[in-house]
Amino acid sequence: MELIGLANYALFMGIFIGIYALLALGLNIQWGFAGLFNAGIAGFFAVGAYTSAILTSPSADGRLGGFELPFFVGWFGAMVAAALIAWPIGKICLRFRSDYLAIATIGVAEIIRLVIKSEEVLTNGARGITNIPRPFGDLPYVQSQLAYLAIVAAVLVVAYLMVQRQFNAPWGRMMRAIRDNELAARAMGKNVEYRRLEAFIFGAALMGLGGALFAHFNRSITPEAIDPMVATFLVWIMLILGGSGNNKGAILGATVVWIIWSVSEIATDQLPHEYAVKAKYIRLFLIGLMLQLVLRFRPEGILPEPLRGDTRTDDNAVK
Amino acid sequence: MSALLTLDAVTGGYGDTNILQEVSMHVDAEEIVVIVGPNGAGKSTAMKAVFGLLNVRGGSIVFDGDNITKWAPNRIVQRGICYVPQVDNIFREMSIQENLEMGAFLKTGDLSAAYDCVYELFPDLKERRKTLAGSLSGGQRQMVAMGRALMLDPKLLLLDEPTAGLSPRYMEQIFQICRDVRSTGVAILLVEQHAKQALAFADRGYVLASGQNRHDGTGADLLADREVAEMFLGG
Amino acid sequence: MGFLELINFYVIPGVVLGSIYALGAVGITLVFAILRYAHLAHGDLATLGAFLALAVVTALGLPPLVALPVAMIGTAAVAVGIDKAFYEHLRERPKIVTVMASLGIALMVRSVVQVVWGVDSESYVRGIVRPENYFGLRIKDREIYTVVFMIGLVGVLQLFLVKSKWGKAMRAMSDNPNLALLSGIDNKKVVMLTWIIAGGLCAAAGVFLGINTELKSMMGWHMLLPMFAAAILGGVGRVEGAVLGGLIVGIAEELSVLVLPSEYKAAMAFVILLFMLLVRPTGLLRGKVL
Repeated sequence: MELIGLANYALFMGIFIGIYALLALGLNIQWGFAGLFNAGIAGFFAVGAYTSAILTSPSADGRLGGFELPFFVGWFGAMVAAALIAWPIGKICLRFRSDYLAIATIGVAEIIRLVIKSEEVLTNGARGITNIPRPFGDLPYVQSQLAYLAIVAAVLVVAYLMVQRQFNAPWGRMMRAIRDNELAARAMGKNVEYRRLEAFIFGAALMGLGGALFAHFNRSITPEAIDPMVATFLVWIMLILGGSGNNKGAILGATVVWIIWSVSEIATDQLPHEYAVKAKYIRLFLIGLMLQLVLRFRPEGILPEPLRGDTRTDDNAVK
Repeated sequence: MSALLTLDAVTGGYGDTNILQEVSMHVDAEEIVVIVGPNGAGKSTAMKAVFGLLNVRGGSIVFDGDNITKWAPNRIVQRGICYVPQVDNIFREMSIQENLEMGAFLKTGDLSAAYDCVYELFPDLKERRKTLAGSLSGGQRQMVAMGRALMLDPKLLLLDEPTAGLSPRYMEQIFQICRDVRSTGVAILLVEQHAKQALAFADRGYVLASGQNRHDGTGADLLADREVAEMFLGG
Repeated sequence: MGFLELINFYVIPGVVLGSIYALGAVGITLVFAILRYAHLAHGDLATLGAFLALAVVTALGLPPLVALPVAMIGTAAVAVGIDKAFYEHLRERPKIVTVMASLGIALMVRSVVQVVWGVDSESYVRGIVRPENYFGLRIKDREIYTVVFMIGLVGVLQLFLVKSKWGKAMRAMSDNPNLALLSGIDNKKVVMLTWIIAGGLCAAAGVFLGINTELKSMMGWHMLLPMFAAAILGGVGRVEGAVLGGLIVGIAEELSVLVLPSEYKAAMAFVILLFMLLVRPTGLLRGKVL
């Protein structure tokens, strides 16, 4: 029994790691490739979650939606919606230093949170959207979890391969050139703003997809489902710890940080209630401290960004 | 008598690359020395080396008996060398008087003698001392920049292309001010793009090319040198 | 709706809220201009200041205005400490790294508040305060204090920046950092001064928000966007601009209720921010664009 519980927990954790890894990959496109500071990851995540929920859930009174479209349409819609939100923000802010983008994305996440809470017609307000279909959700519990883990893993692998290919393609080299020496890139006639906009939008789309995967896994989405600041911050520490600019690092970081985060939660949940509540904040403090320490002592992360031109040999070495 | 400033076979650059290759020069007290040379010759770099803004990997820089090769800029300022960069050399959003005050930041006690000295050299500035420096014309800005540098009573003033972008009238005025400054006992080392005019006015000159010494001598000698003339004076 | 009602129900609360934003925005604009990065932990430092004052109020039974100086000094010390411990060694790295660190600091400061004081709403004094009537204008005493203190604090700061040697050094560092260093201005001292001022003003913003509304662990984070909007609206580096921007954002938020559902009050700051970045990124008073 113990063992089954543990296995179930591992499955559950695996699915979450997959979802967070997708977010970290999205952030890696924005930050790792292009040096763009997105402090509103949770906002794009929520847009994806709700978009897919609205597109795929059965109809319900008092709110829009109930289109009962297949899940993959919902997931695609999630990516498009997140990209569409990212577009105008990027358009306005990417002309400036990334500080402005950081502030604006905090704002976007805040506005999205307000919309989700207040627009009942769209999101059913505080009650949220339920009955979101899960692919293979009709199977028995363990099989269903397993099947979903497989889907998440497949999505992650596809996303990784696509991002990795872009990273080694001329596009990726150009992005890094822009990030490392904007003036030189401009002088070479690169359209810096346009390239950055691309990176920002692609990253946001992946975050939207992550949100959709989360909503379908939970079968429901409510405004309280995730704490925006915590989610955003976790993704950041995942990428920085894993190694920004390195896609494998992003996935590794997601794994390490999520295991630490959820195992420490289990540990502190054993405490009496009053301490357990405080322990949550202590964990937040420690995760904030962890970022400071990584920034100071190992800014390149566990897996540093591959040096230019070395990526190919690196891949060969793995084979 | 040993020179006020001596660069002996200085090699160095920004980061890992060497821009200067064994550059040597000296400036005596109360002397105006000009560095000329084609674009990219390392003229400004040589000046920055003196001011501790460069990675110097070989050779030495000695000022007034102290080896200042590895000193930080603020220590060099206190020792008596002031530097006027070519661009962004004033505080635009501060008044002329405040610019001068910032120049004397390291000085304690009464500044009125220093103000008087600078305003005597630049009477134009005195009338407008409450004006924001950013609203001045190019020539006046250059005066503010030089005035700021003179507030600490330096023994040596480093000027990086003080006449860049100025009209010939202002160029003459800046050169005249340099002579006036020298007469107060300050030596000047300057980098100049306008080689002909600068050599005509300076006591001595150094010609640099590709980060190396090419020629040196009095301004008049260099002007008369055929090789120097062909190099960049346009005949 | 009559003119007086417009003033009483929208403009006066807007000016009060705007004064609170202004206090925070001044610090943001100074950090932005002198240290050259967006400090994302500013809101949560304001929360800390508000709760430090609460500690003094509850422990010693003092009124919040008396606790204010203690909170300001305490928060200034914390701000300097944070800079020394976490930001200082990032100074040679790209500035955006410090922005990231400050996001982590925001989380850390907030979690300290949540552990020490919990997550429930608190207030300095219980009971309802009735506004006084001044020729038809209905104003509460605490609203007057808020505006008067804001003007006083910013006035003292302006005097410091214009008259004192170190105030001028701060302006010089903001104006032209390279030249300031060439002039021998001690960067470390200027940075420390900046944090003392920004931290103190931050605490004042938090305390006055607490006096006029209530104290919550998220109160500061929710002020971050309006404070940044105010700083950018006024022009980065412009103290008087930050005050002007704060007042405009505060009044705009209150007036927005006339046309938008009240839930979207907080969206006004965002709209103002994007609008300024779009049409005039230097702000109303021609500040810097980083």
